[in-house]
Amino acid sequence: MFVRPDNWKELSPMERRKVRLDNWQNAPVEFMSPEAEANYKERIGRLRKIYDMEPHDRPIADGFMGANEYVVRRKGMNGKDMVYNHEKLREPLLEFHNEFQPDTAVSPLPYPGKVMDLLNYQTYIWGGQKLPDELTIQAVEGEYMMADEYRVFAADPTDFWLKKYIPRVMPALGPLAMLTEFPRVSENVDLIDMILPFGLPPFQAMLQTLMEAGNELMKMLGAVGQTGAMIAASGFPSMGFNIVKTPFDYLGDTLRGTKGILTDMYRRPNDLLAACEAYVPVLINAVVNASDRNGAPAALYVLHKGADSFMSQAQFEKFYWPTWKQVMLALYEEGITSYLFIEGSYNKRLQNLAEMPEKSLVCHFDQTEMGPVKEILSDKQIIAGNVPASLMATGTTDEVRAYCGNLMDLFGDAPGYIMAHGCYFENTTDDKMRAFIESVKR
Amino acid sequence: MSQELIDAITDMREDDVLRITNELLDGGASPLDILNACKAAMEVIGQRFETGEAFIPELILAGEMMTAVSDILKPRMAEAAASDKLGKIVLGTVEGDIHDIAKDIVVFMLDLNGFEVTDLGVDVPAAKFVEAVQETGATIVGLSGFLTLAYDPMKETVAALRENGLNVKIMIGGGQIDEQIRDYTGADAYGRDAMAAVALAKEWVKES
Ligand code: B12
Repeated sequence: MFVRPDNWKELSPMERRKVRLDNWQNAPVEFMSPEAEANYKERIGRLRKIYDMEPHDRPIADGFMGANEYVVRRKGMNGKDMVYNHEKLREPLLEFHNEFQPDTAVSPLPYPGKVMDLLNYQTYIWGGQKLPDELTIQAVEGEYMMADEYRVFAADPTDFWLKKYIPRVMPALGPLAMLTEFPRVSENVDLIDMILPFGLPPFQAMLQTLMEAGNELMKMLGAVGQTGAMIAASGFPSMGFNIVKTPFDYLGDTLRGTKGILTDMYRRPNDLLAACEAYVPVLINAVVNASDRNGAPAALYVLHKGADSFMSQAQFEKFYWPTWKQVMLALYEEGITSYLFIEGSYNKRLQNLAEMPEKSLVCHFDQTEMGPVKEILSDKQIIAGNVPASLMATGTTDEVRAYCGNLMDLFGDAPGYIMAHGCYFENTTDDKMRAFIESVKR
Repeated sequence: MSQELIDAITDMREDDVLRITNELLDGGASPLDILNACKAAMEVIGQRFETGEAFIPELILAGEMMTAVSDILKPRMAEAAASDKLGKIVLGTVEGDIHDIAKDIVVFMLDLNGFEVTDLGVDVPAAKFVEAVQETGATIVGLSGFLTLAYDPMKETVAALRENGLNVKIMIGGGQIDEQIRDYTGADAYGRDAMAAVALAKEWVKES
C-alpha cells in the first residue's frame, strides 16, 4: 500500500519519486536474523543508490529477468510446477538464495494455473494443460478485436476490455457482456438494468466460477506470498513492479495480433492512432492506481512491436512513440519510474529515449549495441542488460565471465548500471550463474 | 509493363492495385505482363527492405497484395511460366517454436532473389525437414527459431539431416540465435537477417 502524504500536490516529480521509493525501501520485513537484516539493508541501499544515480560501491547483478526459471529448474522443478505447484517451489528458491547470495530476489512469475483452468483462459497454453509438463506458458496469438472494432474500443476502452475482450479470451466470463453500460447508472430506476444480469442463471453461474477462481487465487497468493516473505526475511530485496505495455502493444499484441496491427498501419492508420490516444488516460489511471494499491514504485514495460526490425523510425515516431511517451511522462509526474524491458534491439530509438527526463527510466536491453547506449543514455537514465540468453544456455563459464567483464568495463563507472540478462533462459549451469553474479564484485 | 501498377504496389495502395489489375485485364493485358509488373514491384520493396526503408508492415502487405493479384490471375492462366531458379531451399521454424513473422520474411526475400523455397511452416519436427529435402532435392536448409527452447530442436534437426547422409548446407537464424548457437547446433552458418540468408544461399549455390 502507498498512502500519499498530505502535501502530495505541492511535490515535484522527483520529490514524489523519492516518497514512493522511500516507501518501498522501508517496507517492513521480519528478518530471520540480524545478519539477514544487515544484508538486506545493504542490498536494498545499493539498489536504491542505483535508482537515484548516486555514488555507490559497485553495480548489482540482477537475475530476475533471465534466471527466473533456472532458479527452480536446477532442482528438477518443471513448467507444470511453476503453474500449479507453488508450494513445491519454496524449498529450491530458498536454497538458491542461500547458496548464491544474489543482490536481488529471483523467482518465477506466479502463474495461477487453477484459476486459468477455471476461467478457460484462451490466450495462453501451459505445462500440465496443453503443453508438455516440461514447459511453462506460451502465448497464443489471435485476433481478439476485429478490424472494424477500433472505434468501439476508442469510444470506451474499459467497456471493450470488460465486455468484449474478456468474454472472448475467457469464455467462462462470457456473461460479463450482459452488464449495462455504466454511464447509464445515474438515477434510481437504472438500478434495474445494472442488477438485472445478477438475477439471471448464466450470470449467477459465472459469479460462482469467479468465487471459486478467487479462492484458488488466494491459495496461490498465500503460497507465493509466504515464499516471497521468506526470501526477503533471509536478506534479499526485490524491486516492485506493475507490468504494463505501450498503447500500441496493447492493441497489437493483445487485441489485433502482429499481422493485424502492422497492416492496420496502412489500412486504417487513423483508427489505430485514435485508439492509441483514447487508451492513454485509461492506462495512466490504471497504472497509478495499481502503484498506489501495491506500493510498487516502478512500472515494467515489456516492449514488443516498436523494435528496430518491426517498423521504420518514421512509423515508430508516428504510431508507437507519442502515446507511449505521454504515458511515461504522466507516470513520471506521479513519481513512478518506467522500467523498460526492451526486447530485440533499439539501436535506432536511443535518441527518442533520450528525450525523457532524467531518472525517469530504467532501460533494460536485450540485443541493442551497448556502446551507443553508454554514450547516449547512461548519464541520464539507469541502464540494465544485456548478457545473452544464448551464452547462458550454451556458452562456457569463461565466455560468460568475459562478456560480463566487457559490460563492466563499459558501465562499471556509470551512475546507475544493473548487470542483467537480455532475455530469460530455461537452463544454464550453476557455474555460469555464479560467474554472472560475481562479475560485478571485482 | 504497367508503371501504374508497379507504383500502386510500392506505395502500398492496396485498393488501387486490385482496381488497376482488373482494368488492365479488361483492357486486354496478358496475365504474364501483370505478373512481371508485380515482380518488378516486389524487387523494389525487397531493395527497400535491404536498405532499411521498408520493414515488416510493407513486406506483409506486399505479400497480401501478391496473393490477391494471383487470385485474380489464376483462373486466366494455364500455368505461370517457371523461370529458372538459382537453387532449392527448404525452410521452416523448428519444433516447439511458432514464431513465423521473421521466417516469412526470410522466405519472401529468398523467393524474390530467385530461389525455389519450400516453406514447411512452424513447429516443424526434424523428420519433416529430412523428408522435405529428400522429396525436393534441396541443397540448402534454413532453420528459424526464436526461443532458447529452439536450440535443442535445431541441434537435433542438423544431426538428423547429417545422419541421413543429406548433402545440404544448413543456415540458422532468429531471435535468440547467434554465432554461439551455430557452434552448439553444428549448422554451417548463422544469419542475422533475411539479407544474410540471401547472401549465404547465393554463396552456397555458387560453390556447388
Ligand atoms: C512477436 C513475438 C511473438 C509472437 C509471434 C508472432 C508470430 N506469428 O511470429 C507471439 C505472441 C505468438 C509470441 C509467442 C511466444 N514468445 Co515471442 N516474441 C516475439 C517478439 C516480440 C518478436 C519476434 C519477431 O517476430 N521479431 C521480428 C523479426 C522480423 O525481427 P528479426 O528477428 O530481426 O528478424 C530477422 C532475423 O530473425 C532473421 N531470421 C529469422 N529466421 C531466420 C532463419 C534463417 C535461416 C536466417 C539466416 C535468418 C533468420 O531474419 C529476419 C528478417 O530479417 C520477440 C522479442 C524480440 N523482439 O525478439 C519475442 C520472443 C522471441 N518470444 C519469447 C517467448 C518466450 C515467447 C513465448 C514462449 C512467450 C510467452 N510467454 O507467451 C511464446 C512462444 C510460442 C512458441 N511456441 O513459439 C521470448 C524468447 C525467450 C526465450 N528465452 O526463449 C522473446 C525473445 C521475448 C522475450 N524477451 O522474452 N512471441
